[in-house]
Amino acid sequence: MLELVDLKVSYGGVEALHGLSLTVRAGELVTVLGANGAGKSTTLMAVSGLVKPSGGAILFNGERLDRLRSHEVVKRGVTQAPEGRRVFGPMTVEENLKLGAFTRRSWSAETLKRVFDLFPRLEERRTQMAGTLSGGEQQMLAIGRALMAEPSLLLLDEPSLGLAPLLVKSIFKAVKDINRSGVTVVLVEQNARAALKLADRGYVLDVGRLALEDSAVNLLNNPQVRDAYLGSR
Amino acid sequence: MEFFIQQLTNGLAVGGIYALIALGYTMVYGVMKLINFAHGELFALGAYVGYSLLVTFDLAGALGPAAAIGLTIVMVLGLVGLAGHLLERAAYRPLRHSDRLAAVVSALGASIFLQNAIMLKWGARHRAYGADLLPNVTVHFAGQSYPLIRLLVFLAAVLVMTALYAFIHRTRLGLAIRAAAIDQGAAKLMGIDVRSVIAVVFVIGPALGGLAGLLVGLYYGQIDFSMGQLYGLKAFTAAIIGGIGNIPGAMVGGLLLGLVEALGAAYVSVAWKDALAFVVLIMILVVRPTGLLPERVAEKL
Repeated sequence: MLELVDLKVSYGGVEALHGLSLTVRAGELVTVLGANGAGKSTTLMAVSGLVKPSGGAILFNGERLDRLRSHEVVKRGVTQAPEGRRVFGPMTVEENLKLGAFTRRSWSAETLKRVFDLFPRLEERRTQMAGTLSGGEQQMLAIGRALMAEPSLLLLDEPSLGLAPLLVKSIFKAVKDINRSGVTVVLVEQNARAALKLADRGYVLDVGRLALEDSAVNLLNNPQVRDAYLGSR
Repeated sequence: MEFFIQQLTNGLAVGGIYALIALGYTMVYGVMKLINFAHGELFALGAYVGYSLLVTFDLAGALGPAAAIGLTIVMVLGLVGLAGHLLERAAYRPLRHSDRLAAVVSALGASIFLQNAIMLKWGARHRAYGADLLPNVTVHFAGQSYPLIRLLVFLAAVLVMTALYAFIHRTRLGLAIRAAAIDQGAAKLMGIDVRSVIAVVFVIGPALGGLAGLLVGLYYGQIDFSMGQLYGLKAFTAAIIGGIGNIPGAMVGGLLLGLVEALGAAYVSVAWKDALAFVVLIMILVVRPTGLLPERVAEKL
């Protein structure tokens, strides 16, 4: 479904991604792990068309995404809940969700209901300004908003960042539910253990390069991954 | 009392004009974080397009005053909107990914270019809309009489501002404009074509500025090629007073500035009129550096 081929991205002459290749098949939940600055967010931003690759290709169902502008990528069914959530703070929850459905023109009550079923908290906060929500609620909104466009591929950038463990659990459960409902998910995480328990497969990045690629189970038991990302336990 | 009310209504009319121009500054700033220094010149262009239609082509003679004004308003909105679009294409779009300062310099250059283009086309001397252009009607209300044009200018400004507010808050495109003003990157992730949003803003803002130019011509009867400078500066002040990037703020700032000027000229000194406007700016910025309307109340745009 999604294929990155030798993807290179530079920021003002400094290369952040030195030729990354990875594949995501339809229906999978794939996690991308790595330390700060490994290039995880850059990869997602490149897929969404917010940064232009300096080399390589991004293929989505055989089409070159890297030649499209960001709004066209959304129209193809690829949406993202970005790093830092980036909800529209001075707008209501409902307006944020409406913006999520921007490419759909009319927003379907059915999709909205599905989002509210997934995150009942958002329905309670419907008319509240997004900026006044708690961090966890904002994350729910960011994910819910990305679902409003009815994507076939959902990109999630560190949804657990800065959240209490209990909230992380419920967010990850929602991610699993989304995936089960047929949406392919790419989950970028620093919380490697939780992400691997959720995912089918994982990729580990190290300073802009692919370090490891394996099934989630194998990565969980890989001593290298254990030492570097899972802590000693 | 009578004198006071006359000055008050005059101030509201002038303030409405400032507010219309200020909207253009604030909308462009809201989405692009750029001060369009050529905005004052687009305002002047509106005054001159109106002059050509009403005086040179004598539309009022051909169609009667009401139809002539109506057609002129439509033409000014369209032509100055188009000019704004061309300006964005030529002076700003190529610099979207460059240094912020490059766009500022380009804006100043565009301002000088436009001002001189207006001078070459229409001449450096004052132009008069002519006293007999509109029938000199007065309206009687509460024991006083007011020039009809003063009422019309104020009403036109209020009407346009209300329409703009409704557009921004009630339509899909308005929602996209607000989203792009808050976070361009996040707006792109929603599937919004931010480049077209900017293009739309660069049509609406200049069109409103052009309309203000036409209103000045109708209200004062006299225009000149450099009028964009002082009006532009005043309206920019109004936008700052209200909180730049904030549409209701531009309206409040414009009306407030118009009132201060009119009442200041009447009760303090005409010679100090312009200075007073900037004294108010400084006082407000000292107390509220981000402008009058707090973000929470007005939200950006």
